[in-house]
Amino acid sequence: MLRNDIDSWGAPAKLFHWLMAALIFAQIALGLSAVSWRVSPTKLDLFVWHKSIGMLILALLALRLLWRLSNRAPELPAEMAAWERMGAHASHFLLYALMIALPLTGWVISSASNVPFKIFWTIPLPAITAPDKAVSDLFATIHGWLVTLLALVLVAHIGAALRHHYVKRDTVLSRMLPWGTS
Amino acid sequence: MKRIVSALCGLILAGPALAADWKMDPAGSKLEFVATFEKNPVPGVFKEFDTRLRFDPDRPAGGRLDVTIKVTSADMGVPDVDKEIRNKDWFDYAGFPQAQFRSTDLRRDGKRYVARGTLTLKGVKQPVEVPFTWTASGGGAAMEGEFTLKRTDFGIGLGEWKATDTIGADVKVKFKVRLRKG
Repeated sequence: MLRNDIDSWGAPAKLFHWLMAALIFAQIALGLSAVSWRVSPTKLDLFVWHKSIGMLILALLALRLLWRLSNRAPELPAEMAAWERMGAHASHFLLYALMIALPLTGWVISSASNVPFKIFWTIPLPAITAPDKAVSDLFATIHGWLVTLLALVLVAHIGAALRHHYVKRDTVLSRMLPWGTS
Repeated sequence: MKRIVSALCGLILAGPALAADWKMDPAGSKLEFVATFEKNPVPGVFKEFDTRLRFDPDRPAGGRLDVTIKVTSADMGVPDVDKEIRNKDWFDYAGFPQAQFRSTDLRRDGKRYVARGTLTLKGVKQPVEVPFTWTASGGGAAMEGEFTLKRTDFGIGLGEWKATDTIGADVKVKFKVRLRKG
């Protein structure tokens, strides 16, 4: 089944979800390692990986949003309280917003710091801002706060999914599993 | 008799009296280098250098080219990189603040000229060939050219930086020097 329906996610939606989940966890690990690594060829390579995967996430997100907007989402269980629905919508909105904001702020840091960069060592990424140390420092701080926010929202997202499964015993988690159905 | 006269004329013409001394006009001169970083060209510039030339474009053989480069004036346009290149692993500003090129031989090569000589950079002496074009204009002249060095020949990039997959071995040197008779 490709398209989503009233109570299940189609294969493309699941693929986007789990592929991007894996990329985002790898991305956080790469970013933290790249920043803390001592200056060395390894550090430079870690940054190329981090920036490349960031751009990959941004591209995948564009496709994912198109798919999401041209497809209905399965309904939330009827017994969910209003605050739970609000929480679900707010956290999903935040996740999408952060999946845009993190690559874009990263792109600004990369441009403003004037370090030339090719995505996966092949496709040159154009600069979106002029070289400026102050801008690069400012956006590095913002990027750091955004990833902290992302970590908090991910804890809520995963916590809520587990609560749906083990406490409320509904299908919200199982219908997103690759092998799961509603 | 004719032969002797022309030979004498030749000797006189070849004499050093006709090879003019040239001084560099720093405002119109530029010494650039282009390294590679993660397969991207990264340009840099030595903001301070001086060129002294004794040269007659019609008889280059008696000439002499001396270039002194203030290595510590290197600027690669990225604050983090500029901080790094001053270290022992790279240019070693403290140990080797100056580089020097001294020609041993100047000759014509088709439409251009070649200065063969010794480049002393980071304390390492290496034979180098510097090709250049010569354009006279008004009372002055411009010499322009480029050639490629291997950073590894001069111990620029030590330790783990010796590997050339992250920072390439080849560094292109480009120069444009405005000269006036002095």
